[in-house]
Amino acid sequence: MPAKTLVMERGKRSFWVQSYLPEVANGLAVTLKHLVRFITRQEESVFTINYPEEKRQYPERYRGLHRLMVREDGQVRCVACMCCSTICPANCIHIVAAEHDDASIEKYPRIFVIDELRCIVCGLCVEACPCDAIRMDSGVHCHSFTDRTTAFLNRDLLMNLGTYSAAKQGGERSF
Amino acid sequence: MPKCTINGQAIEVDRGVTVIQAAAELGFDVPHFCYHPALSVPANCRMCLIEIEPPPGRPPMKLQPACYTQVAEGMVVQTESERVLQARRAVLEFILVNHPVDCPICDQAGECKLQDYYMDYDAQASRVRTSKVSKAKVLPLGPEVVYDGERCILCTRCVRFCDEVTGTSELTVTERGDRSEIRTFAGRELDNAYSLCTVDLCPVGALTSRDFRFKCRVWLLTSTDSICTGCSRGCSIHLEHHRNEIQRYRPRFNPEINEYWMCDAGRHTYNEVHRDRVQAPAVGGQALTWPRAYEQTAARLKAAVEAHGADATAFVFSPQAACEDLYAARGFAEGALGATRHYVGGRPEGAGDDFLITPDKNPNRNGLLVMFPRDRRPAPFQRLLADLEAGEIKVLYMMGSEIPLDGEERARFLAAVAKVDLFVLQAPRQDELGPLAHVLLPAATHAEKEGTYVNCDGIAQQTRQGLQPIGGALPEWQVFVQLARRLEKPLAYSFVKQLRDEMFKVMEENSAAAAS
Repeated sequence: MPAKTLVMERGKRSFWVQSYLPEVANGLAVTLKHLVRFITRQEESVFTINYPEEKRQYPERYRGLHRLMVREDGQVRCVACMCCSTICPANCIHIVAAEHDDASIEKYPRIFVIDELRCIVCGLCVEACPCDAIRMDSGVHCHSFTDRTTAFLNRDLLMNLGTYSAAKQGGERSF
Repeated sequence: MPKCTINGQAIEVDRGVTVIQAAAELGFDVPHFCYHPALSVPANCRMCLIEIEPPPGRPPMKLQPACYTQVAEGMVVQTESERVLQARRAVLEFILVNHPVDCPICDQAGECKLQDYYMDYDAQASRVRTSKVSKAKVLPLGPEVVYDGERCILCTRCVRFCDEVTGTSELTVTERGDRSEIRTFAGRELDNAYSLCTVDLCPVGALTSRDFRFKCRVWLLTSTDSICTGCSRGCSIHLEHHRNEIQRYRPRFNPEINEYWMCDAGRHTYNEVHRDRVQAPAVGGQALTWPRAYEQTAARLKAAVEAHGADATAFVFSPQAACEDLYAARGFAEGALGATRHYVGGRPEGAGDDFLITPDKNPNRNGLLVMFPRDRRPAPFQRLLADLEAGEIKVLYMMGSEIPLDGEERARFLAAVAKVDLFVLQAPRQDELGPLAHVLLPAATHAEKEGTYVNCDGIAQQTRQGLQPIGGALPEWQVFVQLARRLEKPLAYSFVKQLRDEMFKVMEENSAAAAS
């Protein structure tokens, strides 16, 4: 059976439309208009930021890369209670607990690895932490990774971003 | 028999029954720390205080401990009245005065009664402004148990366990008042064979197991009803695992076998499930998929049995295997394989005691024996050694890599096995026999399959599957079904239910015949 055909009529186009010149001029006029506006800074609505020389101000609660806080003597604050790895919906925190040589510490994470590729940046780990040991307030972006294994941030890497926290268990946070 | 009313419900109980037991029968759970149904009643924690209504016209009575008060005729008891709840709150506040509240690092968190009761009855912030009394932390009481004095609520369950159940009396309470702590007597340590039961008994995290310490948070564990395969007692256990790895065994209450207890050695047998496992079927040292392995094993068995005759073919049954496996094994050995020589393998005998531990270290010897009529029971392992050394056995099919021989006999057995023409080993673990096997088939352990085990007293228990099979392991009965089909003498069942129906019939017949 032969296919049904419908012949479409092409509209007649004028010479000026065919030449594209008026539209090119129109487009350039828009560009020129914005150029003049930006150069003369007529309005406040100029969005462009000279990244990376200039950086956007993040909101105070922006969740950046994780960091592990440290005690006064530089030891990791984390006590390997596994609250963060339990609450983590992406299952990206892996902790192996061990007994510490220092009698006053008792339990510490022998291995603490966060898979930043799996992390969905929800911040539940920070909320679950009873010791103010993990935070996401580093303000640091996740690096770009070419190799999957470099996305596994281990304890020492996470501690490098961390700072001293004097928070008392069950008490107020001190910054 | 005294009648009483608890929370408005009437109940009649035997003389001497306590209020806590009567309430439990009605379904009212009275919170308690020191009371344990298997131990004596010291009534020292005061958590189970309940209100007994006074006779008409009398003033309200002092609250009574439910664990110690026996039900009397006409007693009217309230377990959830305002006074009781107030008392519970006060008791919890008192217990928590010196408690460190270090739940994040405490192994008990998640199964801690103090935590649970605090959430249920207390739930208030601490009002204590003085510093807490500091006591011993991480103090090893013995080879298995570590003590934390600050977490201890001094319920003395552990002390009473060592006094009343094991009779070893290693533990005592030292000092007085808020300085009190649990200690071993001078020069002694908590090293009895059941010391880890004190960890189960401890309602808080004061006693922790050295083996389980910091290994896994309890809320991550999945619990499966299983049995301990350490000896022929077959204690009922909770097999607790996380990410397909067993983390610990915990006794499961079974009044007929182990009550609330199990031995320390048994608790460590979970390591056997993960040790030295056969990963994939292998024929002639080459790893194969199961279908290939069935084909090649069947071909080799057929050729070998044809060459040497059924009389030179031996089959070793393992008392480590479940009844289902043994029943299929018997069908396979007698029918498909046609082996005329049957022997019993398993672990060598060890030490026993007069409580739970038995000398026979195999969980299913009775199951194995009852699988055969009395006159056709398999021969002991010593006979296998003699027959091997006499050169009468050319084909050997063995279940399990355990060898019930020691020392010089063991070496002689290994030397003799190396000389047979075809040695098929179907086992969870390699051990010394793995490298000698011409055909090596991985078998599932009790943790990875459903199975029936008959203990030393003839009590059959069923285990549930907890783990996914490790490596390419399969339940042994499935392998026998497949091999029998490849040998063109199929067994009459292909599902576990069909097998069980037949198996229980045979077991019943055999045990009835043995009894008569």
